[in-house]
Amino acid sequence: MQDVNMEMMVPDRQKRKERSLISRFWQWEASGILVALIVLTVSLSFAADNFLSSYNMTVVARQAAFVGLVALGQTLVLLVGGIDLSVGAAAGLSAIVGSIALTQWGIHPYMIIPFTMGFGFLLGSLNGVFIAGLRLNPFIVTLATWEIFAGMTLVITKGYPIRPLGEKFTVFGQGELFGVPLPVIFFITSAALLVWMLRQTRFGRNIFAVGGNRDAALLAGIRVGRVEFLAYGMAGMLAATAGILFASRMDAGQPSVGEGWLMGAITAAILGGTSLRGGQGSIVGTVLGALLLAVLANGTVLMNVSGFWQRVIVGCVVLVAVLVDLLRRKD
Amino acid sequence: MTEPTPVFEARHISKSFGPVQALSDVSVTLMPGEVHSIIGENGAGKSTLMNIVCGRLRPTEGALFAGGEEVVFHSPLEAQAKGIAITPQEINLVPNLSVAENILLGSQCGHAAAINWRETVEQAAHYLHEVDNTIDPRAKVSHLSKAQQQLVQIARSAATQAKIIIFDEPTAMLTYRETEMLMQYIRHMTNEGRSAFYISHRLDEVRDLSHRITALRDGIHVGCISPEEASRERMVTMMAGRPTKTGSHALRDLTDRKVVLDVQGLSRDHEFEDVSFQLREGEILGVSGLIGSGRTEMAKCIFGASRAREGTVTLDGKSANFRTPLEAIQAGLIYLPEERKQDGIFPLLSIAENTALPTLDRFGGWLTIRNREMLDEVANLAEQLKAKFNSLRDPITSLSGGNQQKFIIARWLMRDARVLIMDEPTRGIDVNAKLEIQTVLKRLTEEHGLSVILISSEMEELLDVADRILVMHEGDLKGVVDRRDATQEGLLQLAMS
Repeated sequence: MQDVNMEMMVPDRQKRKERSLISRFWQWEASGILVALIVLTVSLSFAADNFLSSYNMTVVARQAAFVGLVALGQTLVLLVGGIDLSVGAAAGLSAIVGSIALTQWGIHPYMIIPFTMGFGFLLGSLNGVFIAGLRLNPFIVTLATWEIFAGMTLVITKGYPIRPLGEKFTVFGQGELFGVPLPVIFFITSAALLVWMLRQTRFGRNIFAVGGNRDAALLAGIRVGRVEFLAYGMAGMLAATAGILFASRMDAGQPSVGEGWLMGAITAAILGGTSLRGGQGSIVGTVLGALLLAVLANGTVLMNVSGFWQRVIVGCVVLVAVLVDLLRRKD
Repeated sequence: MTEPTPVFEARHISKSFGPVQALSDVSVTLMPGEVHSIIGENGAGKSTLMNIVCGRLRPTEGALFAGGEEVVFHSPLEAQAKGIAITPQEINLVPNLSVAENILLGSQCGHAAAINWRETVEQAAHYLHEVDNTIDPRAKVSHLSKAQQQLVQIARSAATQAKIIIFDEPTAMLTYRETEMLMQYIRHMTNEGRSAFYISHRLDEVRDLSHRITALRDGIHVGCISPEEASRERMVTMMAGRPTKTGSHALRDLTDRKVVLDVQGLSRDHEFEDVSFQLREGEILGVSGLIGSGRTEMAKCIFGASRAREGTVTLDGKSANFRTPLEAIQAGLIYLPEERKQDGIFPLLSIAENTALPTLDRFGGWLTIRNREMLDEVANLAEQLKAKFNSLRDPITSLSGGNQQKFIIARWLMRDARVLIMDEPTRGIDVNAKLEIQTVLKRLTEEHGLSVILISSEMEELLDVADRILVMHEGDLKGVVDRRDATQEGLLQLAMS
């Protein structure tokens, strides 16, 4: 017969330990990618003497810029808890429409980039209408618009490039400012604006809120649909920027612009610590992710590794990044 | 003197979800500066009513009036525009953002182009300190305890400056001191002329705080009384529709039975610490504790769904530190999750398939499953458990919650389970089905020698069926009480000690 059986009183659980500078660095989503980028850069600079040459650095930066611009938009969409598979095709279609506007509609060369960005925003908002407005699944909607955009590109061009675009316009893709290629300047400026937007504006914070907990955002009076809609619109706009800059660089609106950018964009965002579940991630991480991809591609060329291996290596890097992230979160 | 106009009124509200009538013809009013409490058992329709008031649901019939004029809310936004805010029962915060941002979510200080972070944090801290002065407004919400998150949630509704705040079970996870702070805050806000709907299971709290108390039962308005008339017995009778419940089972003496499950010093980081207890053959061991007390986490850990940091589990004298649920199931230890819909049933499959799924290997024929045998065995168990159904081939979703629960129990009886851990098995099912399940459990322990760990938030349920009750709070095991010595107050005090 037992009486009231008061078993052990357990001591209070220890307080969360004070976080040192290092552990705070590890808390940052992009910490892993920064370390990886530094390690890779240092080892490549020893392995290949021409890696650090200013010419090669320009090549790497420019390569990062195009996919990077697309990845910035993808990051916004991932942050609100969605995904946009149509970004590469949107970049291609925008590049074509921009090229046509330049060569056939007689729009001033300096106005082509804003025009194309606006067109890209329209493409993105088409996704937004279906996803934010009608609450359809983003994966399916953007899979469909991917096909539609890519198909429209072929319908319009019949498979032929649109060229030449003229020197007044190609300067945007080929020119430099203080030795920095203009596409890189576009990329860095966009990234800086987005960092500020996500950190300092209500719209930016709402992106995190919607992606982190949609119901809570709704109850807090945030116009959730509008936030999602704008995220898709901006993703389309940034993809279009990349597409038209690429056309300008090639002096041709080629139907193949944007092919392969989708995977690059998602990979860069994920490498940078952006969560596919939404609400977590950063622009700085995405920029670093895009740089890492470019350095990897460049490194394989310099090391005389067959280009065919490049995709294998990228795949392995992504898996390693995900594993590192798992360990980081377990801490 | 004319009566002052109510700030809010719900007239003749009915709400049905498909065939289920959640509310029928319920009317409530709320006066300026009033705390109006809504009491009722789980499933009585309190939350449905409040969700209609705050615009999350629309009534099937009836009308809402704010400040004397009729309103129709299509979304929570429109209710907020009329000054109605809710602190929902379940935590609804953005885990990756700071406390301050969560409090002022969507209305951070500053202008469109730049948020003024310092002002935002200061203002959030101001609202936060009205309900609690220990939480750091800069901390990330995911680092807080469940109780702290609940307080942040209350601070958020305070920050909306709403004229009407709905508190849905705000104190379910709070300690005594935190509850006191909250009571003070509510009195303070009603003194300013703002009003509150208040939902709680803690009847003393309701009586102390309210100006009026409305009881609901099975979606019907039972009555509206003043706190002076509201004795504990009166409130319980109104809620239950009968004088104090008599579902209590006879006391049993099991001290000479052999120990089936022996848990020693089980710990898991951030979830629970140093939990030890023994479960005897045929015993029903109740586990009492609030959400966030670590009770579910402990059960999942024993079941092998998560790994313990330290501690040992022994089943029938053999080491049973399961690494996966499959190992536990094979050893005869079963866990029935709390979220029946989410984790327990396969909505597209039939009743029979749902029941026999983990046992299908037994009915494997040469090419196909021997359906006839399977159906017979399921039917046999269904009869034992007094489950009601049309055909075992119907989808399991055609059954009521209580009957679904019975087939889930049957599922594991088919596998000769030794230990059954049930997490809130009777939540959200009606009173009669609840009593039936309790009776079935009791019979299974006596006839099959099954041992049961019953996790429940409802102390009445534990006091009715459990042989002993284990009390957990914030991850600590506070003690084990024999039912003959247990009272509701005693258990609460033990939890808060």
